[in-house]
Amino acid sequence: MQRLVVIGAGMASGRVLETLFETDPDAFAVTLFNAEPRGNYNRIMLSPVLSGEKSFEEIVTHSDDWYGEHKVTCRFGEKVVAIDRARKVVVGEKGEVPYDRLIVATGSVPFIVPVEGRDLDGVITYRDLDDTNRMIEASGRPGSRAVVIGGGLLGLEAAAGLRLRGMEVTVLHLSGHLMDRQLDEAAGYLLRKDLEKRGIAVMTRASTERILGDTRVEAVELADGTRLEADLVVMAVGIRPSVEIARAAGLAVNRAIVVDAQMRTSDPDIYAVGECVEFNGTLFGLVAPLYEQAKVLANCLVGKPGSFSVRELSTKLKVTGCDLFSAGDFSVGEGREEIVLRDPSQGVYRRLVIENDRLVGAVMYGDTGDANWFFDLIRDGAPVAAMRETLIFGQSYQGAAPLDPMAAVAALPDDAEICGCNGVCKSKITGAITSKGLTSLDAVRVHTKASSSCGTCTGLVEQLMALTLGNAFNPQAVKPMCGCTDLGHADVRRLIVAKQLKSIPEVMQELEWKTSCGCAKCRPALNYYLIADWPGEYVDDDQSRFINERVHANIQKDGTYSVVPRMWGGITSAKELRAIADVADKFQIPTVKCTGGQRIDLLGVKKEDLPAVWADLNAAGMVSGAAYGKALRTVKTCVGTDWCRFGTQDSTGLGVRIEKFMWGSWTPAKVKMAVSGCPRNCAEATCKDVGVICTDAGYEIHFAGAAGLDIKGTEVLTQVKTEDEALEMIVALVQLYREQGHYLERIYKWLKRVGMESVRAAVVDDAEKRRFYFERFVKSQETAQRDPWADRASGGVASHEFRPMAEITFKEAAE
Amino acid sequence: MSAIMDPATATTRTFVEATEVWVPKDGRLVWSSGNYGALDAFAAVSEEKSFGKGEGLPGKAWDEARPVVLKAFDGSYFQRAEAARAAGLTSAVAVPVFAGSELKAVVVVLCADDDQRTGAIEVWCEANGLLMLDDGYYGAARHFEWVSQHTHFPPGQGLPGGVWAANAPMLMRDLGSGYRFIRADSAGKAGLTTGLGLPIAVPGRQTYVLTLLSARGTPIARRFELWNARSSRSGAASEAALADGICQREGPLWNDEHERRVAAWQGPIGEVLGTGLPLVKYDTALLTAGYASMVALPIYRDGTLAHVVAWYY
Repeated sequence: MQRLVVIGAGMASGRVLETLFETDPDAFAVTLFNAEPRGNYNRIMLSPVLSGEKSFEEIVTHSDDWYGEHKVTCRFGEKVVAIDRARKVVVGEKGEVPYDRLIVATGSVPFIVPVEGRDLDGVITYRDLDDTNRMIEASGRPGSRAVVIGGGLLGLEAAAGLRLRGMEVTVLHLSGHLMDRQLDEAAGYLLRKDLEKRGIAVMTRASTERILGDTRVEAVELADGTRLEADLVVMAVGIRPSVEIARAAGLAVNRAIVVDAQMRTSDPDIYAVGECVEFNGTLFGLVAPLYEQAKVLANCLVGKPGSFSVRELSTKLKVTGCDLFSAGDFSVGEGREEIVLRDPSQGVYRRLVIENDRLVGAVMYGDTGDANWFFDLIRDGAPVAAMRETLIFGQSYQGAAPLDPMAAVAALPDDAEICGCNGVCKSKITGAITSKGLTSLDAVRVHTKASSSCGTCTGLVEQLMALTLGNAFNPQAVKPMCGCTDLGHADVRRLIVAKQLKSIPEVMQELEWKTSCGCAKCRPALNYYLIADWPGEYVDDDQSRFINERVHANIQKDGTYSVVPRMWGGITSAKELRAIADVADKFQIPTVKCTGGQRIDLLGVKKEDLPAVWADLNAAGMVSGAAYGKALRTVKTCVGTDWCRFGTQDSTGLGVRIEKFMWGSWTPAKVKMAVSGCPRNCAEATCKDVGVICTDAGYEIHFAGAAGLDIKGTEVLTQVKTEDEALEMIVALVQLYREQGHYLERIYKWLKRVGMESVRAAVVDDAEKRRFYFERFVKSQETAQRDPWADRASGGVASHEFRPMAEITFKEAAE
Repeated sequence: MSAIMDPATATTRTFVEATEVWVPKDGRLVWSSGNYGALDAFAAVSEEKSFGKGEGLPGKAWDEARPVVLKAFDGSYFQRAEAARAAGLTSAVAVPVFAGSELKAVVVVLCADDDQRTGAIEVWCEANGLLMLDDGYYGAARHFEWVSQHTHFPPGQGLPGGVWAANAPMLMRDLGSGYRFIRADSAGKAGLTTGLGLPIAVPGRQTYVLTLLSARGTPIARRFELWNARSSRSGAASEAALADGICQREGPLWNDEHERRVAAWQGPIGEVLGTGLPLVKYDTALLTAGYASMVALPIYRDGTLAHVVAWYY
């Protein structure tokens, strides 16, 4: 009988032995080493053990009796020190064992985030039963708090288990959404919502700076200075193959032990299986391919044919009540189309990605009933053109006609609730339409209250009107924001506030976006709306901005950038001019030009030089002029009473004051201002978005001018007597525009849409309202007045934009 | 190993004496199925009964649209008090089964007090963002009852909080550790180790969670199964997959590699899928791994059948 030695009693090697004993029970005398003091158990079910939903005994795969029955010599709790290939022996801590064939199944080890404090007591990884028991023990202390670093599969299962055990749990995740390797942004949002419903705090874009404590963990400090108290820190950021023994033995090792399709290493008598192997450049962390490897290896050992190949994988999360599924490649790319189905009331999201008439990826949340069917379609590469229209609805809908929304509405019973906010049923709406002769949505809103609150039932109400009125119904012509939604800008803005939507994925899910991630039209708009509506709460999404706003400079036709520092009210100094000259020399900037907005433009700056250019300009006291942004650009001034014989007021002073008060604020479109010291209007204030004409009597506030593609003189908003009143009026006006304007809609277009009467009513006629808008602007400026150049010059923010990308990837921990 | 897997418990008495299902018919609740063990006289009385809305225990659960615990029959609205007294039954819990606003059935479990029988049937109700004990029947587990009355669960914590947050049934093996601390300690002392938690859907926004806590000596059941019937929302709920389960005779029932599925009308679980109604069966040893009796309860979510929970004894 040949001698087979196995290093590692994990799931892969366990399956090898099972298959081997089933195929040829007498082929080998087996010796099994395991560093853990126990045999094989179903490691991927440790999270239910942690949560209390399984007992450890239930997940033991091979009992002592099983090993005895198959005459396996178990050397559990004994580490392998070396493999001596020349003598064909495995050297254990307690002695050597000769082999004819050897299987290396050393698995993987958790990746430890290399931060200060990682060795403190109470900082653990999540890999085996001992880790699980440590977590269970920690959770037994009343009021204890856990921080889980890593929002992947393993981290989230740990978090849910610890929460169920009674801990206060915070999950830290470096990326923008949870499980970013397995889910898209939309599904990640629903998962986060689900976890938060369980009382688990989730922090994305959270970078761990250090772990604090003397001997035992006390807190986790993040890069932004946030401190999180912690009694337990669980690191679940990924795994790396355990290859030291193999490498020391001289086996071929890249990122893991290199094997062929029969799981043979570079030594023909030594095999490797599981998470420690690399096949065709691929590493493995999920259990399905490990079992496939095991089957191939067992067959190979007894001379049966078999060949391992990499197949599509699917993902599920073992947290009760979190129904998610993903498979295949669901990245966006040329030649790919997606089908998206969202049901916000049920928390359902489905997305299919199709390429060349084949389903190549699927992401599902909340309704995973058809997951297996979609997975089969992906693996089989079956053509889907014939079922394209109904594919998203799942297997049971194949062969059926596409859903007719009108038929569905017609089929609703009379007592079906249409408007959840106001409790309005179908019969009340249809009854009101017929009895009162209602023909417009507004009239239905007035008489029934349906669709008058959050507005999400508007589509249903309109369908009911169409059903009841037939051709007599003319739906309001609302131009959708883009092809991703049927809603117009006004509805989206209203619903963001009414439904308290505070992130782009949340808006897209709750407002039933038809695409997974939006487009270049809607994402910048949503990003602006959220910034404007939730100052201090919403985190600006750089990826939802166009290149100029992302790099805070204007891209030129040759790929270089122009840099315009702010010059308050058009005033500069010798020091600033010297700094600009020095920057131009130092970075060999070819063109220095005066702009129409009384500033200096440095043209031809290389992208990689931008942070250094900004650093030098910052050092001279200058900040970004936002010449690239949908934001306050310039406040142009004349010299006013300081120098001009005709000046009636300190126009320069007011211009500087306005600019210093309002810089940094984002607006629907660019905002240019000017202050002229007399009606001669040298600052050309009457063609600006907001202009002030100073007079002997005070200040004439103008707005809604244009001098670009459209030429338009300003409208006079009002006249005030003092500089303070002028400032308050202008700020309130801009804030009103910020809250009502559609993205890319200049002030003059906004005025045309909303009417002078409504603007005056809010800003001029009602002092309380004016103050309200003024104060809301002030509030938003608390977080807005931060120089983007300074942030980026230090290398702390968005540094990837200005340097070649370096990619470090870790393999996700096994299920 | 959990209590229900302990072979020593095979011959002990169970915590619940009788289980019955009442379904609406012509505006009244009529007897549909039931298992009364040897309590034939009580069974005979029950099978002839019907209840209007608000009448008796089933009618009260229907009327109030919530689970109702009744710990003493004498002098109460319980209409079969005399027969119950004769049968030795002392307490009952009625659980309404709603699909949206439609009442599908009322399940009533009846228990008999004595000094030995320990277990817990609890109703938890949301108040101010926490789950508080609405009422419960504990048998001889008096200290545990007191502790439970003074415990609350935030979302996601413990069996009640976990069920509430997940909106799905859960089967916990380990109530004696970390289970809101003091309650865990008390549960351990009372021998309560295994817990089944069920979300109880009722019309409106109120949240109820029903927990059945099983003790080693007097288990509520010897086999538990949790079936996930949440098939595609756009298709019919025609089959279910076994999500979790444990059995005194067969050990763990779950299989993470090969999902066990049943189709509508296939066996007792399939019958629940097909009818959408709770089911009580007895003398079904061939169907139920040798157990004489079973209860299968449909769990609805948003008006559709989402899970089937079954227990066998």
